[in-house]
Amino acid sequence: MDWDKVVQLTVNGLTAGAVYALVALGFSMVYGILKLLNLAHGDIVMVGAFIGWGVLGWLGGAQDPSVAVWLLIVLMVLAAMAGCGFLGVAIERFAYRPLRRAPRIAPLISALGVSFFIQNSVLLLWGADFRGYDSIDLIDVEVGISWGPLSVWAIRLIVMGSAVAMMLALWLLVTRSKLGKAMRATAFDREAAAMMGIDVDRVIVKTFFIGSALAGAAGVLIGLVFFSFNYFTGFGYGLKGFTAAVVGGIGSIPGAMFGGVFIGLAEAFSVGYIEDFTRGRLGSAFSDLVVFMILVLFMLFRPQGIFGKPDVKKV
Amino acid sequence: MKKGVFAAALAGLAATAVVASAAVAGPSGPAAPAQLAQCTNVALGFVGPLTGPAGFLGQEQLSWARFAVSEYNRANRTRFRVALGDTRLQAPVARTVARRFVSDRNVMGIIGPSESQAVRVGGKLYQNANLAAVSGSATAIDLTKGRPYRTFARVVPNDAIQGPTIVNYVQRTLRARNVVVIDSQDDYSVPLAQAITRALRARNVTVSRESVAADDTDFSSIVANVGSNVNVVVFATQVATAANTLSNQLREQGKRAIVFGTDGAYSPSQYKPRNGYVSVFAPDLNLDPRARAIVRAYNRFSNNRDFGAFGPATYMATWVLMTAARTACADGRLARAEVVQQVRRTNVPSIIGPRIRFDAKGDLRGGGTFVIYRVTNGNYRPAVG
Repeated sequence: MDWDKVVQLTVNGLTAGAVYALVALGFSMVYGILKLLNLAHGDIVMVGAFIGWGVLGWLGGAQDPSVAVWLLIVLMVLAAMAGCGFLGVAIERFAYRPLRRAPRIAPLISALGVSFFIQNSVLLLWGADFRGYDSIDLIDVEVGISWGPLSVWAIRLIVMGSAVAMMLALWLLVTRSKLGKAMRATAFDREAAAMMGIDVDRVIVKTFFIGSALAGAAGVLIGLVFFSFNYFTGFGYGLKGFTAAVVGGIGSIPGAMFGGVFIGLAEAFSVGYIEDFTRGRLGSAFSDLVVFMILVLFMLFRPQGIFGKPDVKKV
Repeated sequence: MKKGVFAAALAGLAATAVVASAAVAGPSGPAAPAQLAQCTNVALGFVGPLTGPAGFLGQEQLSWARFAVSEYNRANRTRFRVALGDTRLQAPVARTVARRFVSDRNVMGIIGPSESQAVRVGGKLYQNANLAAVSGSATAIDLTKGRPYRTFARVVPNDAIQGPTIVNYVQRTLRARNVVVIDSQDDYSVPLAQAITRALRARNVTVSRESVAADDTDFSSIVANVGSNVNVVVFATQVATAANTLSNQLREQGKRAIVFGTDGAYSPSQYKPRNGYVSVFAPDLNLDPRARAIVRAYNRFSNNRDFGAFGPATYMATWVLMTAARTACADGRLARAEVVQQVRRTNVPSIIGPRIRFDAKGDLRGGGTFVIYRVTNGNYRPAVG
């Protein structure tokens, strides 16, 4: 066993997993409250990456930033969170709220429409070219932790650290705050929550804001660590985030965190070892096969995911 | 009752439409373009990925196609126009686009298809409709081998030239003994990567194969598979930022291998390795002092839009089609079959190399050459070609 490779793959998997977890959290929060698969969530991630890119350009670009690098990154993340938060609220207001009492297929189709709308709007505004943060000009790839053959770029540490911090903050918000209690009540029974005096509409709006803000932050982190994105990038991250949410248990916040890391590690190790395990029959091209097989297996044998509870109905 | 009447009326209308369209199309299926007795307002169908993962390449090609049309119309008082066909880099969509253009009587030629797979699914349809298709980027060998699509031609050399060019350079000049070859799981990169792998192995170079999705943006786990003894990573990709990310992640993990990108990797603004190479089917006009005038004109036209090798080659494909159509229209009538004949007789000066003339298969006469650029700290300079 090549332990250097194992450690390197673990670092890679944790980085990707941290990003997937942030995306999965948005899916889970919205599903938890509205029982709606927000298929436009991946595109909000992409918009976040573009907002970060805009802030980076506005502040002088990666080669010659007009503020300190740490401040630049913080501003990029905050701007993306704010921008995407309001985008999420707008989507909820105009695409989902009018369909709240419609059959469940209606908001799903509306979500698909919103996804295409966002993609094509970005295509119109910024074109189809890939954009990048040139983050190696912000912090060189050789700056970071070097331990024997293992090297971890400082940006990876920033990405993992900030993702964990945001997840913890969200967990505290949901479990310890008044808003969190209202969110949990609304997720449990919307009508009963309304009868208890909770302003359900306001809770849903705030949930969309928070979930979309996390997606915006994920977009900036993706741009920082994986260098490039375009109007189509959100689709792939949305799909992986959704898989992570299902594996962890859609609707469950710890589940989304666990699912993200699990999918990130599964992806990294399948790229690293699929060829060895299949004796050369399958190559790294099939890593997505492994990831989505995991999704299928969970759907078949544990549809509620690892942290989810089975949906029991009285008959 | 009302609903029943409405449904019957709708069914009747649909049946009438089907019968009418069959009557217009005639026994051969597509429209009868020979009846089009005027040469103004002639459309050229652009077939390429305007959206989807390779949308940025298609947009560059479209921009240069429009530039060519604008220049040609101004110089020759013609009224050519471009009709859009977005393949989204998906074969079934490309087939639908082909059907649409085949049945549009105003379309007299196809700019493209951009991708080899779009030629494979649409080539026969264009051939049956006598529609000339001139591509500026479809380089797969099988598109002209045995002449499966008789109305297809391309203004760029094919992969039978690119593969050996890369292999010679990697083995002889870079003296690589251990190489990783990566494809991006599409019709362009897989055959090219396979050809390079076979040729390198035939020369006793140790080769490992890897594969990534066309829209992947993280290669860190692929990089973990690259051994410390690997000298070169050949990346057959259509995305320059992907080659750039791969190069950065190799450095991040302390690997000494350098990236050798192909075609789509060519982009001085997006592929900026500290040390790397890229091979491309056409020279970069930005680096060619003889092309200053056209680069200036394009920058004016496009408002300084960034471009690589894909755009100028499509400019030439468009130019070939317009020249052929204009010649075919000398008698005031224009038919698709005449355009096909005139394309075969093409002999026009090119902005990307020697004069464009096609051989019997639709390839460039003499085969053409690929250019290899060495990239040092983001600066490009020609190494071969």
